[in-house]
Amino acid sequence: MLKHLFTLIWNKKKQHALLILEMIVSFLVLFAVFTLIVYYYTNYRRPMGFRYDNVLSVSYSSQPGSGSNRDSIYNVFQTLRRSVKSMPEVIEMSYVSSNSPFSMNTSNNGVSYKGVSEMTNYYTTDDHFPEVMEVKMVEGRWFNANDALGKEQPLVINDVLKEKFFPNESAVGKTLEFGDGMHRITGVVQTLKDKGDYAPLKPGTYKRVRDSSFMGRVLVSYNPAADAGFESRLFITFSGVLKNYTIEIERLAEKRVIMNNTTLVPMIALLVVGGFLIVNVALGIFGVLWYNVSRRRAEIGLRRAMGATGGGIAGQIVSETLVLSTFALIIGIFFAAQFPLLNLFDMPSGVYIAAILLSVLFIYVLVIICAFYPGRQAAQIYPAVALHED
Amino acid sequence: MIHLQNIEKVYRTDTVETQALSSINLNVAKGEFLSIMGPSGCGKSTLLNIMGLLDEPTRGSIRIADSTADKLSDKQLAHFRNRTIGFIFQSYHLINDLRVLDNVELPLLYRKSTAKERKQLALEALEKVGLSNRTKHFPTQLSGGQKQRVAIARAIVGQPEIILADEPTGNLDSAMGSDVMDILIRLNKDEGTTIVMVTHDENMARKTHRLVRLFDGSQVQ
Repeated sequence: MLKHLFTLIWNKKKQHALLILEMIVSFLVLFAVFTLIVYYYTNYRRPMGFRYDNVLSVSYSSQPGSGSNRDSIYNVFQTLRRSVKSMPEVIEMSYVSSNSPFSMNTSNNGVSYKGVSEMTNYYTTDDHFPEVMEVKMVEGRWFNANDALGKEQPLVINDVLKEKFFPNESAVGKTLEFGDGMHRITGVVQTLKDKGDYAPLKPGTYKRVRDSSFMGRVLVSYNPAADAGFESRLFITFSGVLKNYTIEIERLAEKRVIMNNTTLVPMIALLVVGGFLIVNVALGIFGVLWYNVSRRRAEIGLRRAMGATGGGIAGQIVSETLVLSTFALIIGIFFAAQFPLLNLFDMPSGVYIAAILLSVLFIYVLVIICAFYPGRQAAQIYPAVALHED
Repeated sequence: MIHLQNIEKVYRTDTVETQALSSINLNVAKGEFLSIMGPSGCGKSTLLNIMGLLDEPTRGSIRIADSTADKLSDKQLAHFRNRTIGFIFQSYHLINDLRVLDNVELPLLYRKSTAKERKQLALEALEKVGLSNRTKHFPTQLSGGQKQRVAIARAIVGQPEIILADEPTGNLDSAMGSDVMDILIRLNKDEGTTIVMVTHDENMARKTHRLVRLFDGSQVQ
């Protein structure tokens, strides 16, 4: 019977060309939507790698004309640290570069090992970053003041970079060529999803801040029991030390929500557009099948006379539509398969394969739903009447 | 082979009730070639549909090939039609999107058979009607007589005991009609197939074993 249906659909391919084209386009749109969904979901399931509750991000920028020399910067930052740490609610604070978690800023730098180069996210932090963010060390330890005394500067890398350069060996103690010279790895940290829940894990390096460097941001972890006035007292503390600076305090948890929304909003827009398209396709398939059933009443009557049951007729209508969609899917899969084969958009092949499978499943389910009612109508055609009509 | 007892058929709408058949008692013996004649609208096709289990009588009982057809389920009816009855229609009812061979194979799709068996049986059936050289043609590429011969091949491919033909020569000129009639007579004579044929053509009817006439839904001869 399947061969018969394939023959029937193949012989009617010209009549079905538009419907096949519509299914191919729907498949490709679904493929795009599912690729994003699978990609974001895969990223979402990975651990964040750090805490964001009860952490404040404090940014400050000096006003024009208020530049200071390096010694005074060091002194100011040490004073600021003492003042903030003296607040009873504060657990720890850390100076960080402007590409701190959930900020829109990024900073990239190339790193190479034994002639192999890799572009990485490049962060500058101090020794207290792991306590504030509660990061998880996979190997070794975070850098500290003693490391600054060595010939090579200390560097912490994340586990994504570790897998690229040292997949089957320890990274600790290895030296990497990075920016301004050679750096020795002190530890490997679990990768931080610092661009939101849906962001991919990318190679990253953490460099120790020089004592005299100006850092425009501080992360402060605080006791969950801190009262509502804590943030204003913290602002006063910062203002007291950083005179003539513009200070902004943000909650990391709120920055996370904003960051996630920037990912989700375009995704939702695409889903809405895809949803409308799918509804249109569903109505199209439904209409075409309905029309086909009414056009083929005599044929259906004939098949009943030849020995088809009502259920068999309904099954045939559904099966024909499945065969038709299989033609469309074969063409659609051919195009979709180019994405993993050519490694387009640098996404893992598994994401594309999962998206192809989900799109195929979705199209088949959609087609079965759309064909079900016309199939049932066809099953109810009375053979004597249908054969008499033609 | 076919026993109809007190068959009545009434078509009802909200406002009109039409008596299509009344008190039809008819027995068709195994191997008989029966023709049914009558003016248009007298109930010939309705009677044929009832014999073919494509329609249900309002009253009366039907026995075909020693089976009572009154209480068969949809599945049993379909199986019975497939195994026991072959249909030939005035307007051929060939599927234009299928080649001749595929059209002839159609009844075999609804029973357990392999593709090879289906092809073999269909080729044999086409051989019997003299169309073995047209297997790859589409129905639109055939003449009316050839189409009807394909329809006959489709009706006999499953080797049914009964063939019900509804004006098989109605759309054909006399030469083609005679050809088709000769095939039916040969089938009846050589293979003992029971044939019931509705016709308007007195000459064709005279070639059969027995003639039944209907008028206004009643049997008059």
